Amino acid sequence: MKLVRRDLVPNGPGSVKVVPEEDDDMWHAYNLICEGDSVQAVTVRKVLKEKASGGRDAERVKLKLEIKVESVDYDKEGSVLRIRGKNILENEHVKIGQFHTLQIEPHRPFVLRKDVWDSMARDVLQQACDPSASADLAVILMQEGLAHLFLIGKSITATRSRIETSIPRKHGPAIAGYESALKKFFENVLQALLKHIDFKVVRCVVIASPGFTKDQFRDYLLLEAERRQLRSIIENKSHLILAHSTSGYKHSLKEVLDAPSVMTLIKDTKAAQEVRALKDFFNMLSNDTARACYGPKHVEVAHERMAVQTLLITDSLFKNSDISTRQKYIKLVESVKDSGGAVHIFSSMHVSGEQLAQLTGIAAILRFPLPDLEDIEM
Amino acid sequence: MPRKVNHGLDYDEDYDAYDDYDDYDYDYGADGNDYENDNGMQGDGNSSQQGTKVSRPRIWQCSICTYDNDESSLSCEICGIIRDCSANFDNNDKDKAIDMSKSSEASIMGKSNLTQVPSAPLQTEITSVGFPSKKASKSFGKASRDVEDATKSLASNLDHLKLNNNTMNSKKAPSRTPYKSEKWMFQDQEQGILSQLNLAIVGHVDSGKSTLSGRLLYLLGRISKREMHKYEKGAKEMGKGSFAYAWAMDESYEERERGITMTVAVAYFDSKKYRIVLLDSPGHKDFVPNMISGATQADAAVLVVDASVGSFEAGMDGNGVGQTREHAQLIRSFGVEQIIVAVNKMDMVGYSKERFNFIKLQLSSFLRSRGFKDSSVTWIPISAMENQNLVEAASDVRFSGWYQGLCLLDAIDSLQPPLRDFSKPLILPICDVIKSQSMGQVAACGKLETGAIRHGSKVLVMPSGDLATVRSIERDSSTCSVARAGDNVAVSLQGIDSGLVMPGGVLCHPDFPVRVATRLELKILVLDNAAPILIGSQVEFHIHHAKEAARVVKILSLLDQKTGQVSRMAPRILKAKQSAVIEVALDGAVCVEEYSKCRALGRAFLRSSGSTIAVGVVTRVPEPDL
Repeated sequence: MKLVRRDLVPNGPGSVKVVPEEDDDMWHAYNLICEGDSVQAVTVRKVLKEKASGGRDAERVKLKLEIKVESVDYDKEGSVLRIRGKNILENEHVKIGQFHTLQIEPHRPFVLRKDVWDSMARDVLQQACDPSASADLAVILMQEGLAHLFLIGKSITATRSRIETSIPRKHGPAIAGYESALKKFFENVLQALLKHIDFKVVRCVVIASPGFTKDQFRDYLLLEAERRQLRSIIENKSHLILAHSTSGYKHSLKEVLDAPSVMTLIKDTKAAQEVRALKDFFNMLSNDTARACYGPKHVEVAHERMAVQTLLITDSLFKNSDISTRQKYIKLVESVKDSGGAVHIFSSMHVSGEQLAQLTGIAAILRFPLPDLEDIEM
Repeated sequence: MPRKVNHGLDYDEDYDAYDDYDDYDYDYGADGNDYENDNGMQGDGNSSQQGTKVSRPRIWQCSICTYDNDESSLSCEICGIIRDCSANFDNNDKDKAIDMSKSSEASIMGKSNLTQVPSAPLQTEITSVGFPSKKASKSFGKASRDVEDATKSLASNLDHLKLNNNTMNSKKAPSRTPYKSEKWMFQDQEQGILSQLNLAIVGHVDSGKSTLSGRLLYLLGRISKREMHKYEKGAKEMGKGSFAYAWAMDESYEERERGITMTVAVAYFDSKKYRIVLLDSPGHKDFVPNMISGATQADAAVLVVDASVGSFEAGMDGNGVGQTREHAQLIRSFGVEQIIVAVNKMDMVGYSKERFNFIKLQLSSFLRSRGFKDSSVTWIPISAMENQNLVEAASDVRFSGWYQGLCLLDAIDSLQPPLRDFSKPLILPICDVIKSQSMGQVAACGKLETGAIRHGSKVLVMPSGDLATVRSIERDSSTCSVARAGDNVAVSLQGIDSGLVMPGGVLCHPDFPVRVATRLELKILVLDNAAPILIGSQVEFHIHHAKEAARVVKILSLLDQKTGQVSRMAPRILKAKQSAVIEVALDGAVCVEEYSKCRALGRAFLRSSGSTIAVGVVTRVPEPDL
């Protein structure tokens, strides 16, 4: 996201003008924009005009609108952000108080005005505008008969495609069926790859699977690329990396990110940090159960006793429309930071964030064991 | 005499069925069919085709001796008089309706009419499909026995039905009438047919499983010399000369090139006592899901252990690298009690007795801890490469010097035959689907868990729920007319779209469909070396041949290891070696049954990060929230 103008007071009112550039930025915008803020952007609206002859004519007019946000809608699959609210800017076509839905589009600037720019929002803004390279990794996670294609960005992991076919077993006469079914499966994966992966943006493609499916697929890929003269693949041959995973299901993605060959590529990025933090949490849980806890109640209790060393929290908890809950979590994050602990805010669009969200969305590694947490109801 | 036997059988089964009646809630929406009885009879016939209430078992008084007979019997037990029943039962007559209100209880059934009862089609559907005359003659030809059987079952059906209209094969509502197994379903004792035994070969990677299988097949004449020659030549060309025998089982190019087995290969051979179906499983860690799918069909197992120095230790490695442990655990969880430990590659250690005893000692304590009884474990030292002690006693002097025990084939023969449930309705979990382009038909392969089918039987394909007809049954590349529980066959189906038949599905009887669910309650045992399980943990769920991604939704209670009682409600986390009741939500629907009702469809495995973290059984299938 490109920051054009910034005019705000920390913990006070202010406005920023930004230009979103990629899919990630939609997600950041979603995190930034809350109910009650106002967004100003150029948009298209269908306006009814009275013609001289008396008939009504619908015209699409481009106009600049500022709306007071009532609801924000983020479409994960299409990476589209829609903001609905009431108009507050004087305009010849749209009355004040009329509802309008703004669609935030890439490469179109918008102005966001907030009453309170708290630390959360400022963090998100800073991350969004950080020009450092994003993780841009494409991962094909497959097993025989099932494949997922992921695009891992800086803060979101988008599932671009899911391919499932039934591949028969192979004994005796059915071997031919197996080979041809496998080939068809690989062909589908190849098509998905060509469609969704833009090699200019993606730095590298990881193919992961249990067993030897990945080798088979890589060989198939290269062979077909030669045969069909697919320039994009031939040029980027060196960007293909193989990794081992234990299954083709989505939750195995974190294992892939953990693999040393992949880790080196993404080690500075948020995704890698999240994976590491979550792994630490699980390790702690298996080694010494009393030093790890999850669930809002347990974490609160632990925090009261100043026991929290590392706090893991997903950003979906902040997206609560209930201001008080949001405030509560923000205060929790700040106080953990003040007391010297580390805070990892997981993007709920990443695999590790999803996993954390399954575990209620908040977890903590403690400084010292608290065995009596067991007795407290979750 | 067959007549007597069947008589008794029917009596018992209906009787016990009634006993169970008293215990159960009559709302059969939630519970499945009650296949509890060990004597194998099915189904408390509960009528709820229309969800009507079932009446308690009633009695009728014999008019001659005034003995109170159970409703199920159509003739008085004391004097043998057939109950006065104006319903001239006619198998194929479907027009009569019955009024089953309580008022008719004690009365003679004269006023009531026979409904087309769902179980009647059990007898008739087979007739209606292919062999009307044959069946009719069968049931009438054997005179009164069959007549009585049929009348008894019909009568018992009457008991459980209220007003019913013709409801043949309503797919969703399972029939509650008792399942009547046909005479052809039972094994012919007279003909001396060898009984079936499904043998799984498991063990650590490279322990010699495929070579052993190939050797056995060759020695027993299932592979010709010419074929063997071809394999040898091909293997040598690829630079894998030592894998020549393994090529008999590993048929795909990938497997041969890498020298490993990737999926379970099925082969058939006969020993003196059994017809054996050999399930050669992959040993590689990555292919354990395939091994699970294959070994779920096993009745007994051969655990192949590599005797050479270093390999055995690697196989026993507790940190999950060694597959010997994981396989032994899985095999036990499949309900396999008999295991033969084949200590292979004895030639590499010079047929040393000490080495054999050392391995035996180490492994036996491990197997005991997994639940294998010492008496059901047999220890056989062999060398597959050198052909020592496989089908005949060892010839090598070093070997025969100290070992005088059984050879492998004899050890297999000494296994106890497993119990087969012929009398329960058909359940065939589909292991594999073969689509033949020639006729556009589909063949489903698998092992029949219960029941029997034959040419022309109608089956229900779950989870889609569509009907199909059995066109032909093939076993070991030869057609057979009937397949019974325990047989590993390929069933060719007609009348169904090939996309609807998939591995992980189940072929079942149209009137007794298997349940399909996405949320399950399981009682699990967390294995050692497993990462802790939390609410929300994502795992892979394996059950018979199906696998799905799943999430732990709730941890309901923690069970005490020894007593099995609930020790704690709603724990936060499950650690290794703990036993608990949890609820999982699956990404896709699978066919399941509670473990108490059908063992094969009730065993589940949870895997995550490449190793099995928990084994368990399905305790409850909650009704989907509609």
